[in-house]
Amino acid sequence: MAAVLFAVVLMTALSRLLSRPAPGTAAVGPAAAPAPAPAAPAVPKIKATLYFASQDGLHLVAAEREVPLAEGAVAQARSILEAQLAAEAPAPLASTIPKGSLLRGLYVSERNEVFVDLDPAIRTAHPGGSLQELMTVYTIVNAVLTNLPNLQEVQILIGGQEADTLAGHVDLRRPLRKNESLIQHDAP
Amino acid sequence: MLIAGLSFLASAQAPSITVVSRDGRKPLAVTTINNQDYISVDDVNTTFATTSREDRLAGGLTITARGRSIVLTENQNVVSVAGRLVTLPAPPVRRDGRWLVPADFLPRALAVALDTRLDLRRPARLLIVGDVRVPRVVARIDAGANNVAVTFDITPNTETRVNAQQGRLIVQFDADAIDLSVPLVPPQGFLQNVIPGDTPSTVALTLGPRYATNRVTTSQPDAGSGRVTIDLLPSTTDVAPTPTPTPPAAAPDTRLVIPAQGPSTGLRTVVIDPGHGGEAIGTQGVKGTLEKEITLSVARRLRTLIESRLGLKVFLTREDDRTMELDDRSAFANNHKADVFLSIHANSAVRPAMKGAEVYYLTVERGDAEARKKAEENATTLPALGGGNRAIDLILWETAQARYLEQSATLAGLIEQALRPRIEMSPRAVQQAPFRVLVGANMPAALVEIGYLSNADQETQLATASYQDQVAQALLDALIKFREFLEH
Repeated sequence: MAAVLFAVVLMTALSRLLSRPAPGTAAVGPAAAPAPAPAAPAVPKIKATLYFASQDGLHLVAAEREVPLAEGAVAQARSILEAQLAAEAPAPLASTIPKGSLLRGLYVSERNEVFVDLDPAIRTAHPGGSLQELMTVYTIVNAVLTNLPNLQEVQILIGGQEADTLAGHVDLRRPLRKNESLIQHDAP
Repeated sequence: MLIAGLSFLASAQAPSITVVSRDGRKPLAVTTINNQDYISVDDVNTTFATTSREDRLAGGLTITARGRSIVLTENQNVVSVAGRLVTLPAPPVRRDGRWLVPADFLPRALAVALDTRLDLRRPARLLIVGDVRVPRVVARIDAGANNVAVTFDITPNTETRVNAQQGRLIVQFDADAIDLSVPLVPPQGFLQNVIPGDTPSTVALTLGPRYATNRVTTSQPDAGSGRVTIDLLPSTTDVAPTPTPTPPAAAPDTRLVIPAQGPSTGLRTVVIDPGHGGEAIGTQGVKGTLEKEITLSVARRLRTLIESRLGLKVFLTREDDRTMELDDRSAFANNHKADVFLSIHANSAVRPAMKGAEVYYLTVERGDAEARKKAEENATTLPALGGGNRAIDLILWETAQARYLEQSATLAGLIEQALRPRIEMSPRAVQQAPFRVLVGANMPAALVEIGYLSNADQETQLATASYQDQVAQALLDALIKFREFLEH
């Protein structure tokens, strides 16, 4: 049952990802990701939208990155989120994720809720403050839900457990939906 | 804080959970693994007459309860209960040939299979099975110069009897057991201790040398709960220190005389929540200024202003530097029947240039709006004391704030207008966010970020008395405006 579900999610998600027009018009310079020099064994890649803090610190800005293609929506979500957690921000943007943050696991429920299990290091490394916490949480939520639009909600776990909050403000005990209001959309 | 090994699991014995059922009380052993309470499946089988069968090949375990199957997979947070998927906060683990499940397995999965209510009350480490009467009993101790009042708030309301017994007062509740929470007993001569009694439904007050007699008053602050106040009094010759002894009856809360009534239409009580505290330091400025200290200082200034200018009752969720859970903060406001809940914080941003104050009220997601509607449909009419009927709402914790969103939005707007002439505002001055501390507040509520500690200039400002006074004055102005709004 679950396998069928994942397959459906995967197909729609991948078809969307793969059919996207080539970028070049990313919100902010395409980040010139220091692509690992030639001749590595050709791991297929897809474009994914990651999020970073805007120059004024008030918004999340989308930037496209190549991430390894993975089999299945769950594996793909994991690969995208791992890229998001590790990504250096392209200047002049800034990362919203504390350094050293790791993904312990990721799974998807029958109701298309994504459970993202983070290593507790993210909590100790987080500088606190509600804006920083909102930015960190919604970078993770938005990165998953923007790239895999069939998934509806993300619940963040810490160290394999339900957590009240990451840094004392944002309610993590329920799944969160994508937050559009924090995202800075391109000027027309 | 939590250091979870990725490859191995740290574990320790923890205090057991007491299973309270019609048949009596039984302990259920608990092992802590990665900071999570785990129960062994063998113990579950013994306690709940279930059976289990392991499938070593598939790495799974099937528990059968009343003919229904629960399928567990090692290291998978999702279990299947009679075909329905249920998520657990942590995965089942298998060690030394034994299976262990997180304590939440009991209410979330086993209860569904058994078709029986299993109510896990973590703070008291109780698991209530089925329809037994286990009221929540919250004790409060008010120490005066010449008396000490011990108040028990009992939900749902339950008959009590108080008996004296060899230097102790035993409070007997008409219930199968009680879920008791007791504060620290302040040092004084009347009361040494408040502890669980010899039976599951009693509490014992250990008396001190100044105690001579007592007076018991009972009341019903609202339809759902009861209150018993035990005044511990000295002998009449002992009341020397003050020429006019305070009448002990003054000790209990004056709210006792306010008749139970529907939703508040005025502003009488304000609860201020100084953000963070204790181990939760909040954010920190580059020069070392701690958010938890700034928030407490501003909250104290605001309390003084409100008390002296408006004469309202003001309570702080914490009076000192202590760790406090977020839900306990809103529960505190609910228990004090606050008409407004203000949580005070200082902010931090990735960009050091970011500055200014922001005001937040709760975002409500779609599911909450549905729950709110349902809660409104569930409004119930109960007979009231003294005749007649009165509508009461059954409110889920997760939806308490949803009913007040419009008022909270007004409150946030008034705070923003009052802050703007006094301190710098952020470009995003009023916002909505899913902040945990606001979720359970059963009254208009807002969270105020009074400035950015990540900005060096603001860090300096935030620590000054003048800036804190400006913030407190602005919040007072906003409360005055909000009172006018409520009264119209």
